[in-house]
Amino acid sequence: MKNIILFILLFSFNALLAQEYDLLLKGGHLIDPKNQLDTKMDVAVTSGKVAAVAASISPQKAKQVVDVTGLYVVPGLIDMHVHAFQGNTPDAYIADGFTSLPPDGFTFRAGVTTVVDAGSSGWQNFRQFKKQTIDKSQTRVLALINIVGKGMVSRYEEQNTDDMNPVMTAHMIKRLFPETIVGIKASHYWGDFTAVDRAVEAGNLAGVPVMVDFGEHQPPLSIESLFMEHLRPGDIYTHTFSYGPAFRETVVDESLKVKPFVFAAQKRGIVFDVGHGGGAFSWRQALPALQQGFRPNVISTDLHADSMNGGMKDMCNVLSKFMAMGMSLQEVITCSTVNPAATIRRPDLGHLSIGAEADITVLNLRKGDFGYTDVRRTLHKGAQKLETEITIRAGKVVWDLNGLSAPGWETELKKK
Amino acid sequence: MSSIFSDFFRVTAHGLGRTLLLTLLLVTTQAFLFGQTYDLVLKNGRVIDPANSLDQVMDVAIKDGRIAKVDKAIESGAALKYIDVRGLIVTPGLIDIHTHVFVGGKPDKFADGTFSVSADDFCPRSGVTTVVDAGTSGWKNFEVFKYNVIDRSKTRILAFLNIAGKGMSGDPDQQKIEEMNTEAAVAMAQKYPEWIVGFKIGHYEGSEWSPFDRTIDAGNRTNKPVLVECHLPQYPLAMQLQKMRKGDIITHSFEEITEREPVIDGNGNLRPYVVDANKKGVLFDVGHGGYGFWFSEAIPALREGLEPNTLGTDLHRFSINAGMKSMTNLMSKYLAMGMSLNKVLEKATVNAARAIKRPELGSLSPGNPADIAVFSLYTGDFGFTDAGGNRLKGKQKLETELTIRDGSIIWDLNGRNAKPFLN
Repeated sequence: MKNIILFILLFSFNALLAQEYDLLLKGGHLIDPKNQLDTKMDVAVTSGKVAAVAASISPQKAKQVVDVTGLYVVPGLIDMHVHAFQGNTPDAYIADGFTSLPPDGFTFRAGVTTVVDAGSSGWQNFRQFKKQTIDKSQTRVLALINIVGKGMVSRYEEQNTDDMNPVMTAHMIKRLFPETIVGIKASHYWGDFTAVDRAVEAGNLAGVPVMVDFGEHQPPLSIESLFMEHLRPGDIYTHTFSYGPAFRETVVDESLKVKPFVFAAQKRGIVFDVGHGGGAFSWRQALPALQQGFRPNVISTDLHADSMNGGMKDMCNVLSKFMAMGMSLQEVITCSTVNPAATIRRPDLGHLSIGAEADITVLNLRKGDFGYTDVRRTLHKGAQKLETEITIRAGKVVWDLNGLSAPGWETELKKK
Repeated sequence: MSSIFSDFFRVTAHGLGRTLLLTLLLVTTQAFLFGQTYDLVLKNGRVIDPANSLDQVMDVAIKDGRIAKVDKAIESGAALKYIDVRGLIVTPGLIDIHTHVFVGGKPDKFADGTFSVSADDFCPRSGVTTVVDAGTSGWKNFEVFKYNVIDRSKTRILAFLNIAGKGMSGDPDQQKIEEMNTEAAVAMAQKYPEWIVGFKIGHYEGSEWSPFDRTIDAGNRTNKPVLVECHLPQYPLAMQLQKMRKGDIITHSFEEITEREPVIDGNGNLRPYVVDANKKGVLFDVGHGGYGFWFSEAIPALREGLEPNTLGTDLHRFSINAGMKSMTNLMSKYLAMGMSLNKVLEKATVNAARAIKRPELGSLSPGNPADIAVFSLYTGDFGFTDAGGNRLKGKQKLETELTIRDGSIIWDLNGRNAKPFLN
């Protein structure tokens, strides 16, 4: 009898030893563009990190196994353009205002594990943003800080050149929050190139990229000059497919041709970001551009209260929309994982290399008749749509649409 | 249309007198609109309107933000716009009777805080046009809630007023009986009858019964229902149910936690006092939340004859990404538990409207606000989870195609209201 007990004890000990992984995603199709993987592969997670990626990993080695056969396994998506500085300052719209959204309700259900707030805060109120949103979110929230010290309080405050201080902006990044602040935003400025130039000056001081929303000049300023003379390779142009020619020069001209310097700018290293938003995506820009071979480097949502219920909806919807325009699944995943990670210079994100933080998304590619709309509420149809089955953030399941990681409910009764 | 008229105005203004011109404009306008009786017609959908016992293919016409007509065939020429919703289900806009939407800047708090969520973030995409906030505010801060949130929301927000003065403030005050002022709560409800539909007691940790009695008293004095949330660890469930009146609502009905007796006993049967309360007319709400729904309670309850009257989600920061997810997910979960589609819709529309005594909501009767949801019911292999992290499989799932509030389209999943883009 004693021997039997000893044997059982030893056996269980061995079994425990053998379970070297916390979680195993088994049978899925892995798309990891950075590692040039696009094939059926198992992914194992231990202690919040990617522990193994292989054609077949034994289920015996894992404490929990989730069957993801028929689904796509990709690195946790990065949404490089959102507004998450939510609060209730009277008269403020995006900085500590109601137009910003708390990210967790939109990210995990759309496969996003990292968002980059695009300039909602500036050096004067970034610490408030960090305290009330960044530190309280399950989603990884990074930020571009605005060249305007108070960020996006209102269009009026955003015009104050006295509050565009490159030195203080750079200090905030380099000295205080190099882990969280990944760049600088210049936007909504009505004047000349001052806001952009100060942002680039701060970018040089801090060694980070600049994102520009160039949509409110009347008459519009030259985007060729912006791309070729004012921005540096690695800087970001957002709202690429916006159509509002009275305020923003378009990348596609009125005869639906991509302007030649746009290709040259992309070649020079300007990063073109979608930033869909409530008003910044038009088929008449995007469809001709894609047909003529001009593709965005990064696909992002520009999530805020005025975009969430319109043509944008969520990250999966925006990715599906680009698939409806002819991009492949692999391409849209590239534009939402490794490309944004490279743009914000975070090589630790956007891939599933061994040792990387286990931010993983499991997607279902639905077939059917789907419709996608732009800001003019015109329709373009598609036959595919991405849906987020599981989202894993630092090894923890934070979204599970169909309970694939859950045991059957009858187990609850057995415990009684 | 407006540009045609303004061009016409500009061209003609030089040659005609002002009065003549105005008359002409009026005549033209009326003639133009005469043929178009409706603003929008939803054509060929399967209309399920439990309040009116309707379940058949019908058209629904909207005019001036209200339901104008529900009929077998409404001429599309009679509308400024029509949308073909063939193959889809058309129902009254859903009512989520249990939410926490008093969102604000206070960190880690429900009242005016970050633990609440914005209704507009989650409701239009789930077919919900009306939410009832479950006592996140009380008489001391309801007006802050109204000004900051209710008045700015596209979702219709109604409220149960907490008997605690500052609602779910999370402050020590929340437990103070002096703050639970019946007079003040009643006065606030009488000041805002359009928004305050009842009173709530919950999250009281003492053993005194006066907070409970005061809530019921406020209900009696205004002829409004009381919502009883749990987290009342010193009140036995039997006593709560005994004190509740016909039409009062108990929520988190299928919760299995130590601080309140579950409705099912150790042998899988309903407790006798739960059966009695159900007979008396106490209304059982789901109140799913992050921790308030267990298959081990809900499935035996259904089998033993205790159906929830309403399907409140208990929407808040900690339920959105858990087993709850959304109103449509909760409804699909009940489909997976074997409830019929019509019954599920009844609970999410007219039952909720009746529970809060708002007969103009939750039905497609002509004259009512045009709050409408259009769903697709898609089939496949789905799973639904509970607070214990356990899964129930299902074959059907509701997806929200269109949501209409007061005649305006506030959600359009597949661009059914959009014109084709011509490149």
